[in-house]
Amino acid sequence: MGLGLKWYHFALWIGFIIFMLLMPEMVSKGTLRTIIFANFLAIFAISWDILSGRTGYISFGHPFLIGIGAYTTAILTKRFDVGVEYAIPLAIAMTMIGGTIMFLPALRIKGSYFALVSLAFMELMYQLVQVIRPDLTGGTRGMSGLVTLTRGAVNGYYLSFTIMIIVALSMWLLMRTRLGTALSAIALNEESVKGSGLSPTKLKLFAFMTSAFVAGLGGAFYVHYLGSIAPRALFDINFVFTIIVATLIGGASTIVGPMFGAFFLTFLLEYLRPYLPGAERYLIYGVIALLLYMYQPKGLYQIMINQFNRFKKDEDDG
Amino acid sequence: MVKPLSIKNLVKNFGGLTATDDISFDLEEGQSTGLIGPNGAGKTTIFSQIMGEYRQTSGIIELYGSDISKLSTPARIRLGISRTYQVPRPFSDFSVLENIRVGLMPDSIWKMITQGPNREREIELALSVGFSEDDLQQTPDTLSMGDLRKLEMARTMATNPKIMLLDEVFAGLTVGEINQIAKLIQNMRKENMTFLIVSHDLKALEPLVDDAIAINYGKIIAQGAFSEVISDSAVRTSYLGTE
Amino acid sequence: MLEILIQGLLLSGLYALIAVGFTLIFSVGRVLNLAYGSYIMIAGYVYFYFSQLLGLPPIVGLLLAGILGSCMGLLKYNLIVKPLKGDHIPVEISTLILAVILQSAIILYFGNSAKILLPIFQGVIHIGNATVTYNVLAATLVSWLILIVLFVFIRKTHVGRAMQAVSMDSKGASISGVNINKINMFTWGISGFLGAIAGVFFASYTQLSPSMWVAPLIIAIAIVIVGGIGSIIGTLVVAHIIGFMEIISVALISPQLRGVFTMLLVIIVLIIRPKGLFGREEL
Ligand SMILES: Nc1ncnc2c1ncn2[C@@H]1O[C@H](COP(=O)(O)OP(=O)(O)O)[C@@H](O)[C@H]1O
Ligand SMILES: [Mg+2]
Repeated sequence: MGLGLKWYHFALWIGFIIFMLLMPEMVSKGTLRTIIFANFLAIFAISWDILSGRTGYISFGHPFLIGIGAYTTAILTKRFDVGVEYAIPLAIAMTMIGGTIMFLPALRIKGSYFALVSLAFMELMYQLVQVIRPDLTGGTRGMSGLVTLTRGAVNGYYLSFTIMIIVALSMWLLMRTRLGTALSAIALNEESVKGSGLSPTKLKLFAFMTSAFVAGLGGAFYVHYLGSIAPRALFDINFVFTIIVATLIGGASTIVGPMFGAFFLTFLLEYLRPYLPGAERYLIYGVIALLLYMYQPKGLYQIMINQFNRFKKDEDDG
Repeated sequence: MVKPLSIKNLVKNFGGLTATDDISFDLEEGQSTGLIGPNGAGKTTIFSQIMGEYRQTSGIIELYGSDISKLSTPARIRLGISRTYQVPRPFSDFSVLENIRVGLMPDSIWKMITQGPNREREIELALSVGFSEDDLQQTPDTLSMGDLRKLEMARTMATNPKIMLLDEVFAGLTVGEINQIAKLIQNMRKENMTFLIVSHDLKALEPLVDDAIAINYGKIIAQGAFSEVISDSAVRTSYLGTE
Repeated sequence: MLEILIQGLLLSGLYALIAVGFTLIFSVGRVLNLAYGSYIMIAGYVYFYFSQLLGLPPIVGLLLAGILGSCMGLLKYNLIVKPLKGDHIPVEISTLILAVILQSAIILYFGNSAKILLPIFQGVIHIGNATVTYNVLAATLVSWLILIVLFVFIRKTHVGRAMQAVSMDSKGASISGVNINKINMFTWGISGFLGAIAGVFFASYTQLSPSMWVAPLIIAIAIVIVGGIGSIIGTLVVAHIIGFMEIISVALISPQLRGVFTMLLVIIVLIIRPKGLFGREEL
């Protein structure tokens, strides 16, 4: 398939997986709970990366998709006593329908305009879940007492990590194929994609559906980890901000970048906690994100690649 | 004999302006035709309609006998017709090889995933338009105008066309680069490629074409053997009138 | 009926005031300033600090807020927009990040809880059976005044016409000798000032909280999108469409559906007429 895999790719992935599997032995329960959030954030960031990082269709309303997944499974399990084994796949399917709806405007508009429509989608969803059938959605207060899939931090950690790593690996491989090149080409010049005989519509639809699949998967498992859902926290511009910043800090359009970005952010916050107890942390984290984005828009991934290349060069020279 | 490309009564209006005014012509299999006319005559607009980037106001465009007016641009390209642009439009962050890779891809997501890139073919195409081995990893921002036109040719050739439409192929090139592109076109003519070539550089165009069509204000003003067309008095005045 | 008319006019006036600074940047600089909502929030707090905590006269608080807004606009232009060369998406992402930074800065200083801003102008007036506070009335009048002044300014003054030229065709304007950089600085300064003035009124209309920047930003976005790039008349008309739509849906359908129609309108207009209802590319 021409994935261009080298021995060090295998080594790095395996090393990372082993390290992460040993994590519960090394850290406290509290830290483990933090990493669980990092895992979910990584899933959402990867979903954003597939769509916005790759194709350049910036989504400012990604919680729209995540929310469809989360609400669908929450409503099905709580109100209709559907088992999670059916509810989660259905939730993912619903999210993919949502992805198709979000794709429709992308047939006509791009750039800032698309970004704003996606924001409008999120706001609309936020308003709708509070108003339409609050007996199902729980209205403004959301829902609690939902089925949880795991008990205890360790199990929660293993489940979230398993999902995250499967998503990350499969998407990383997928984006290394020619499809990844074609999707990147859309961000660079959609007209030339057409002029090369490829249908951008087909490619974009695929990107939206894949992104929605991952968002729905993450959203559904996330509610069944939390056991509750609250519209104010979900359809929140701060949540959008966190997803986008994780992706950009890590390195957009690289899949592993957003994954590490999510870990970096979560740990940065965690690390700063003893020194800066309150809102200062978000302030510092925002400033770091802004500076990094403005001066290295390709993110930590690029910085690491540059270091790696220098290291390789030193070795070749020495 | 069915014609590779046949255009009948093509009209394109932009608001009050008629950019293509009842144009009809055929291309012959394996023949090369020059499309000439002063700036703003409507040459690029004809290309855009043939490729489906602009929808014609009226008229018929037939590819090997079947009407393609309803097809999308990628669908037309799959039927074997492809164009270059007056202003090259490369993928800015991609290397030369990756640019060509996009042209080589089949329009099937499944095949994109399951089949790897055809590196030999990518390199072969890049070398055939005159890139050197060292250029293959360059990105467009480091390439000259001549290289960008070569890249555009290579990506167009990658779609495996039987008919190629070339828009202002020689604009902004050095003499050496003009010769390089001319040689490339000559080679493809030997392999029976059908060409429609727009160029302002009539001297460079002459050896590359069998026939010529001259247009002005969206209308055909002369048609036939290249030497006859350029000595036509209407053609001469149209050029003198604007340049 | 009269009640709806009056409330609609008042709300629409406030919305127009909120949107006009955003429109200016969008038409002259062609970028969306997603930190625009922060002018509104910060201005509210500045006013709160000077006029409510320190007890300065309201008009001083209002002016200080405006001046600070102006400075923020200039800083933003010089530190973010210029280094990013006005690239749309990077500017939008950076300003979004900035908005969240400013939000946490405010939380740091003033705390997370909502504060009530005393009205700038005390008292109420009865029109028919509708009760109107002087405060909201003042917001509407100020809004009208600002829009008229701006409209005249853009059409009649040298700088205004230069702004118009840049908004229509920045390359052409720069060829004919307009200093694009100066015009942009000026526009960002004015936009910050207007955003801040709008902010003080908006904050006294609702309440002061660190997350209060989102709602007015969305209103501004909605108005600009539906109105089309940078037409002041478009801004005014659409502010009224959206204002009345909200008041009518609150009064006749359900208060909770208030924002739903606005968002639907935004989505539909963007898909059907991406350039907006009044999509001329001029001020
Ligand atoms: N998209 C368009 N909208 C309006 N007018 C156009 C458009 N494209 C081309 N034209 C006009 O059509 C005429 C023909 O243009 P074009 O085909 O580019 O000429 P040529 O390629 O022969 O120089 C010109 O007058 C041009 O201004
Ligand atoms: Mg042309």
